[in-house]
Amino acid sequence: MSAEPIVKLSAVNKTYFRGSESIPVLDGLDFEVPDGAFQALMGPSGSGKSTLLHLIAGLDRPTKGSVQVAGKELSKMSDAELAAFRANHIGFIFQSYNLLPVLTAQENVELPLLLTKLGRGERKTRAQTALRVVGLEERMGHYPRQLSGGQEQRVAIARAIVNDPQILVADEPTGDLDRKSADDVLELLGRLNTELKKTIVMVTHDPAAAERATVTRHLNKGALQ
Amino acid sequence: MNVVSLAARNVLRNRTRTILTVLGVAVAIVAFVLLRTVVTAWNVAVDYAAKDRVATRHKVSFVMTLPKRYIDTIRGVRGVRAATWANWFGARDPRNPDSFFANFAVDHRSYLDVFDEMQVPPADVAAWKADRRGAIVGDVLARSLGVRKGDRLTLEGTIFPGNWEFNIRGIYTATRRSVDRSQLIFHWDYLNESLPESRRDQIGWTVARIDDPSRAAEISRAIDRTFDSQDVQTLSMSERQLNNSFMAMFDTLLDALDIISIIILAILLLLLGNTIAMGVRERTNEYGVLRALGFLPRHVVTFIVGEAVVLGLIAGVAGIGLSYPVVEYGLGRFLEENMGGFFPYFRIEPTTTVAAMGLAVFLGVVASLVPAFRASRLTVTDALRRLD
Amino acid sequence: MVPIVYNLRSLAVRKTTTLATAGGVALVVFVFAAVLMLSEGVKRTLGRSGSDDIAIVLRDGSDAELSSGIEAPQIALITAPSEVKRRGGGAPDAAAEIVAVLSLDKVGTDGQSNAQIRGVPDDVMSFRPSVRLVAGRVPRPGADEAMIGNAIRGRFRGLDMGQSFEIRKNRNLTVVGVFEDGGSSYESEIWAGRDQVQSALGRGTVVSSVRVRLRSRDVFERYQRQLQSNRQLGVDVMRESDYYAKQSEGLSIFINALGILVAFFFSVGAVIGAMITMHASVANRSREIGTLRALGFKRWQILLCFLLESSILALVGGLLGAAASLSMALVRFPMVNFASWSEIVFTFEPTPGVIIASLVVAVLMGLVGGFLPAVRAARADVLSAIRA
Repeated sequence: MSAEPIVKLSAVNKTYFRGSESIPVLDGLDFEVPDGAFQALMGPSGSGKSTLLHLIAGLDRPTKGSVQVAGKELSKMSDAELAAFRANHIGFIFQSYNLLPVLTAQENVELPLLLTKLGRGERKTRAQTALRVVGLEERMGHYPRQLSGGQEQRVAIARAIVNDPQILVADEPTGDLDRKSADDVLELLGRLNTELKKTIVMVTHDPAAAERATVTRHLNKGALQ
Repeated sequence: MNVVSLAARNVLRNRTRTILTVLGVAVAIVAFVLLRTVVTAWNVAVDYAAKDRVATRHKVSFVMTLPKRYIDTIRGVRGVRAATWANWFGARDPRNPDSFFANFAVDHRSYLDVFDEMQVPPADVAAWKADRRGAIVGDVLARSLGVRKGDRLTLEGTIFPGNWEFNIRGIYTATRRSVDRSQLIFHWDYLNESLPESRRDQIGWTVARIDDPSRAAEISRAIDRTFDSQDVQTLSMSERQLNNSFMAMFDTLLDALDIISIIILAILLLLLGNTIAMGVRERTNEYGVLRALGFLPRHVVTFIVGEAVVLGLIAGVAGIGLSYPVVEYGLGRFLEENMGGFFPYFRIEPTTTVAAMGLAVFLGVVASLVPAFRASRLTVTDALRRLD
Repeated sequence: MVPIVYNLRSLAVRKTTTLATAGGVALVVFVFAAVLMLSEGVKRTLGRSGSDDIAIVLRDGSDAELSSGIEAPQIALITAPSEVKRRGGGAPDAAAEIVAVLSLDKVGTDGQSNAQIRGVPDDVMSFRPSVRLVAGRVPRPGADEAMIGNAIRGRFRGLDMGQSFEIRKNRNLTVVGVFEDGGSSYESEIWAGRDQVQSALGRGTVVSSVRVRLRSRDVFERYQRQLQSNRQLGVDVMRESDYYAKQSEGLSIFINALGILVAFFFSVGAVIGAMITMHASVANRSREIGTLRALGFKRWQILLCFLLESSILALVGGLLGAAASLSMALVRFPMVNFASWSEIVFTFEPTPGVIIASLVVAVLMGLVGGFLPAVRAARADVLSAIRA
């Protein structure tokens, strides 16, 4: 690969503290994701894959080592800088969708745009565009409870791409879904990867999901295998 | 969509809880408004006291009388335009001996000139002046005694023994809020002539009308100085001062009302705080999601405080909406009719409404600060972990 | 039966909410207990003043000592009947006294207030054996000296040991003693020689009241009949205990009305607070409730379990509030007695009855507030509860 990797973790150490007890989760991990890749991360629970995902997404900082994403060094950033980084460069997809129940589909998608200087009309147009990409534009007035699980996850994906981030980070995106909806969501992620050139890092337990990715990597006890 | 509408929608999310909270806060606000109105209504007498009147009584005790000749001396003091006098009569209605109302024996020639806020039709005043046993009663008292103009009324004396007969010659109404509309006044001469020689020609107190309200203190001192060498000395003060010193007798009670008001506010704070804290705890994962999307801790604080403001506003409006019927039409009517001496005008002051509304919102904000601060301090990953 | 430990731990887990709710209940119980204690205090102060083997004689038609007047020659007639107890030398065990009200400067304010002064016979201490000197001595007969009740000591300018106050022009009384009487209203009075008071106030030989100690409480009716049948005498005879009960009537009604009103609003607030908390508690624990039901607990057991939990919650608040209210025993509460317009100092009386009543009210509030949520919990369907 000629281009610089978009995600580059070097000698990353992450230790959690519970009282006086320290729990090392990642220890001297090196990890890279090339630009435009669709990588799946698998591993038993407790293997550190969610921690790794959180580090890439800028939700957390390493105890030691360097985390470079989209050309930025995250390990030295302040909370505010990390927040700005997430808003500009990362789209996050959760296992249980995490849509706000009091907002409609369109408003949920629009939410990240409240952090930008965009006007009301522009925000609305962008949210509708994102919903069109995920194929739910006719559902934009619905509340989450009026949608199926698969539809909710697609709204969540629209929310993740509305600010046009380079990287999508997905934590078990199909974990709560039936096979058919899961396939739809994976298909959508595949399209986002190939057509919109989004780099995707996805943690999953689902072998069928892993198959959709271009590369599958296994993590066990904090180390890549 | 914006931050405010998101906050407002969150308030309505747990409907049962919101309704209960609004109800609880509303009840607390009614109690608060009620107590504040007791205080303001009580103070009405001070606030609306005539500025141009100076009252004079016996220096040692209000139960002791002055020689009648003092009135002539007072009328001669510079700055005094007119003066009148009255005696506390202290009689009661034998049909209803436990209900209290003020009744005075007054100088019929001058009393209504000095107390011109008591409005009586001129023809009735003339009829009253002409009838030695004539009496004038306030409209509120007339209703509770069940008397009308032309009726005969018998009162039972407590200080002056015996049954006293009066002809109701007129009903007075008030031009000012501070006027007790539950008084009865009658001719001082009627009382004086019924007394044994030794107790005659004594007056309870005098009230002088002065030219220049700003000189009230000066004229009060001038009056007292006049009687300094006499056997009976006097104490004069402006009507406002007099009412103030009457209020001072009840200052402990007013302090107690203040303390209860503060306790009400504390309860209000706990109610709001509990509800907000519950909502925040249930929504912690949502704040995690917002943070993951790039929102900052201060945004989270804004969401939570915004919710509290909306809740406080709704509860405040509900409380004030409830206060008017309860305080003004329920209790207010009752108190004005039965305790007119204390509460001639029992109505909610606009400032009370503003204060109640402001406090509801303010306490909502205060109640939300701790949960908001705690929620904003959570790391994103911790907040997200509270997902399930 | 679901073990109580389950409820206790559930409450302990939700610390903030539990404390907020219990705190609300505590404030309500505090106010409730304080009002009851004050009401007890009024009863004690005015009840102590009267005993039922003493009869008080007033002029016919006057409802208080202040408005009464009895001429000196009548005193002998009043104390003559055989029902009146005799002292060693054969003199009647009686006290003829004059009562008036003095306006004095109130310490700590710029206003005046009224204190009752009682002109007492020289042998007053033998008529009222419960009165005990705590400082100084009894005034010398004929001297311009006074002793004061412990409750008003230091509350008015001039009312403390060695100080003096004006009773008439150029005539001061010096305070030479301070007395106690088990918290009775006498402790809010100034006592001076009868002759001094009569002459200073220009009342000749007139007294306000005559108290006589009867041979036994049972002869009262006979004594009363005898005196009241004498039209020439023109007096009213009452048991002293009844007289004081009547004197405190207005005040008691006032305090109780205020108390009921405050208690009503406050308990509604507390009930709603408990309801919010229990409602959330039930909602958050639907899974637990489902599990309990799946384990075989009956609906009524679930109902009982949650009712118990809210009662415990309220009881915790009740205990806190009741404990805090005990501190009110240190507070002195001066109030104007509407019957005499003079100040009486009341205390808050923490009786066991008051504390028990407060706790019962707390538990009741918990039960009422917890009822609907508990019903909801009991009605939950096993399956949907587990699934939630």
